[in-house]
Amino acid sequence: MDIQLFQDELLKKAQDVGFNEAEVYYEKSNSFQVNIFEGEIDSYETSEEGGVGFRGLYNGKMGYAYTEKIDGDSISFLIEGAKANADALDEDDGTDIFGGSEYYSEHSRYSNKLANVSIPEKIAFIKEVEKKTLAYDPRIVSVNYCVLQDFSQERVLTNNKGLSLQDKTNGLIVFIYAVAKDGEEMKTGRAVRLTRDFKSLNADEIATEAGEEAISSLGEKSIPSRKYPIIMRHDASASLLAAFTPIFSAEEAQKDQSLLKDKIGEEIGAKNFSLIDDPFHPEALLGRNFDGEGVATKKTMLIADGTLKTLLHNRKTAKKEGVNSTGHASKASYKSTLSVGPGNLYIAPGEKSQVELMATIEEGVLITDLSGLHSGTSTISGDFSVAASGFYIKEGKIASPVKQMTIAGNFYDYMNGIVSVGSDLKFVPGGYGSPSVKVKELSVTVD
Amino acid sequence: MIKQSIIENVLEAALSTGGDFSEVFIEDKFVNSIELQSDKVERSITGRDFGIGIRIFSGLQNVYTYTSDFTEEGLIEAAKRAALAISGGGNGIIHPLQKEIIKPIHTIAQLPQTVEHARKIAVMRKANEIARNYDERIRQVGLRYVDEEQNVLIANSEGKFVEDKRVHSRLAIQSTASDGVEMQSGFYGPGAHAGFEFIENLDLHHYAGEASRIAVTMLGADECPSGKFPVIIDNEFGGVIFHEACGHGLEATSVAKNTSVFANRIGEKVAPDIVTYIDDGTLPNEWGSLTIDDEGERTRKNVLIENGILKGYMIDKFNARRMNAEATGSSRRQSYRFNPTSRMTNTYIAPGDSTPEEIIASTENGIYAKYMGGGQVNPATGDYNFAVAEAYLVKDGKIGRPIRGATLIGNGAKTLQLVDKVGNNLAHGAGMCGSISGSLPVNVGQPMLRVSEITVGGTMGE
Repeated sequence: MDIQLFQDELLKKAQDVGFNEAEVYYEKSNSFQVNIFEGEIDSYETSEEGGVGFRGLYNGKMGYAYTEKIDGDSISFLIEGAKANADALDEDDGTDIFGGSEYYSEHSRYSNKLANVSIPEKIAFIKEVEKKTLAYDPRIVSVNYCVLQDFSQERVLTNNKGLSLQDKTNGLIVFIYAVAKDGEEMKTGRAVRLTRDFKSLNADEIATEAGEEAISSLGEKSIPSRKYPIIMRHDASASLLAAFTPIFSAEEAQKDQSLLKDKIGEEIGAKNFSLIDDPFHPEALLGRNFDGEGVATKKTMLIADGTLKTLLHNRKTAKKEGVNSTGHASKASYKSTLSVGPGNLYIAPGEKSQVELMATIEEGVLITDLSGLHSGTSTISGDFSVAASGFYIKEGKIASPVKQMTIAGNFYDYMNGIVSVGSDLKFVPGGYGSPSVKVKELSVTVD
Repeated sequence: MIKQSIIENVLEAALSTGGDFSEVFIEDKFVNSIELQSDKVERSITGRDFGIGIRIFSGLQNVYTYTSDFTEEGLIEAAKRAALAISGGGNGIIHPLQKEIIKPIHTIAQLPQTVEHARKIAVMRKANEIARNYDERIRQVGLRYVDEEQNVLIANSEGKFVEDKRVHSRLAIQSTASDGVEMQSGFYGPGAHAGFEFIENLDLHHYAGEASRIAVTMLGADECPSGKFPVIIDNEFGGVIFHEACGHGLEATSVAKNTSVFANRIGEKVAPDIVTYIDDGTLPNEWGSLTIDDEGERTRKNVLIENGILKGYMIDKFNARRMNAEATGSSRRQSYRFNPTSRMTNTYIAPGDSTPEEIIASTENGIYAKYMGGGQVNPATGDYNFAVAEAYLVKDGKIGRPIRGATLIGNGAKTLQLVDKVGNNLAHGAGMCGSISGSLPVNVGQPMLRVSEITVGGTMGE
């Protein structure tokens, strides 16, 4: 069934059965992914999918339903489902369907050039990456993930208040994991690239980055478990930030799930720490021109020089506090109810290179990877205790790789403990970014 | 769901370029999710996931495509497009589809789709009340109820044609406690491959009470010491340690490419005699159970490690080719969006002889991990880490002060060798496991056991 027809019929039927206000959110995506193993295509995937999310005000309450089956029967499934869900709510959701912002950015996140890169070109490139990674050093025994993935997505939001918005995005991700082995010791090294410019990818550079990380991690040593000054490499820092992002949500604060509640205007971090959400950042693959309820997005300063300026708001949370939405209504997909989330959240970069940051450390640890973030962090208390990989720093330089570690601390203390911020801002998949950051100290336990 | 003749045409189109095996996976899934927060039902959503995954093999080439376009033209087009990636000299024979009638081993009494929201919400309110009344320091309780009815049809070029209905129900409870300065949370999330009867019969006093008890206990907990300690891990969800430390390394996904520390070691001693490790998808109505896997194979009881000897792996159809072995009914995928691969179902350490009292009494200076959080492993190196949700110090054979922020790290193969006590109180706990074929319901299980030494990372220092 044609989507335009489906949409029109759905909105009409909704009005007929008593939804005063209604919205249809439609997504359509295509993707391609190939994984290479020992020079051959190990897996190859393509997809074409889409779905419709419906929400509407029924007796003053917002009911939701979604479907991936676009046919006549689904219209009544959506309507009946949304009605039952509206009835189930205890009070009105505090929100309504949005009539529209005055101005919407026309920032483009779609590259026609990328869309035209042929599949054989992409396969040839990722095969080259695997070959070069294996050739980097005889101790590289395999590349256990060697993936190239690209996607394109189109979003359309239409409601019966006259709003009709759409945008389109595409991108390409390369992700490789090199395995190095020396005797019994096995280490992995990784390289990730996010881009809309296929020509900017360099197989040598990617192979060298993953190979070098794996090889330099061999020869691990133990160091005493205690507190150390820490350099969080940009990617580790971005993933820690991602794990604690819920604390910046006004929704979480209003539910007493964030200690940043009622802290606007207060100093919550070190002077050199600024946190920005920029849906238009050129180096991040994600972003959006309108948020999950159709509000125009804009660049937002969350923390300026250590002072909390605002939390992330959608229209419902903003209404509760008598402020304006910051354009952060989030909808992970047509399957989700409305929540709050960032566009591209990143720590503002400073002046120094990673090497310069390290040069100021007599004895410390460079953290290059964190794992177990989904379980080892509590956004409620701010405590974290997670597994980490990295290097021992002695007299301002890398001295040796360290055996598997845990680092532990509290994110609220961490924001205050930022000593200096590097210039090497990079984004990780998912829309989070950070430069390398020097932190006063964290507890380090070594296996 | 889709006519047999169309499926046959799609299987044939998929083999048009010389592939030697093709498969169609059709999924039609109904979902309800309800959230209660701040004493109010705040979110409720109903949905229908629908799509088709098409898979083609040619030797060791594996091509996958999925689409939500269910028209015959759309499907044939998708199959042909995927087939373009194959440059096979395969014979591409389609065997006539033979409908297999499978008797479900997990009976469902009340399909959740037929139960009105009000009854589901009544259970949530009851749990909310119990969790809130547990202690005055409980400031917030969040509940999430989810049910899913997944209808699948799996057909392949070898003539398989089978349908299955999988029903999952889960209630997750999170309590937050505060003393005015700090906040701590506690979580419990029972789930089953069952209908609404599971939710209605839940012992809410136990589950909601435990979520609040953990939050309040952790509020008064000391900082966790760092260093190497004997660690006693309690039964049920404690099994997550071996899920991470060994389970993932026994999946063909990493074994087939020799990137697992357990590859090529069948028959070798990999653990002490007291360790037997099993993956069993047939346990009635358990959260990780299935009647057939996502390739249409019957699930079974797979003994992975028996009395310390490595006996077998969890193998899917594709990796079976690379390993020259038989598939073990272990192939799973989150949805039609995922190419299936070998995954765990209900994995557990078989019970031993020690009583929990004996294990604690024989520990001089260690850590008792009562409830585990989640964890992660690097399958290539076997290095794992996981969080402890509720932990205590053990001194002179007695459980002492609660401690918080404990993380355990180590190497799976090495930790396995250090198991020195296995209790007699086996129990299973529900969790979600994320890996390359998506996020899946799995059970982890074990009796109480002790590992003679694990590195514990905390904030207090040594």
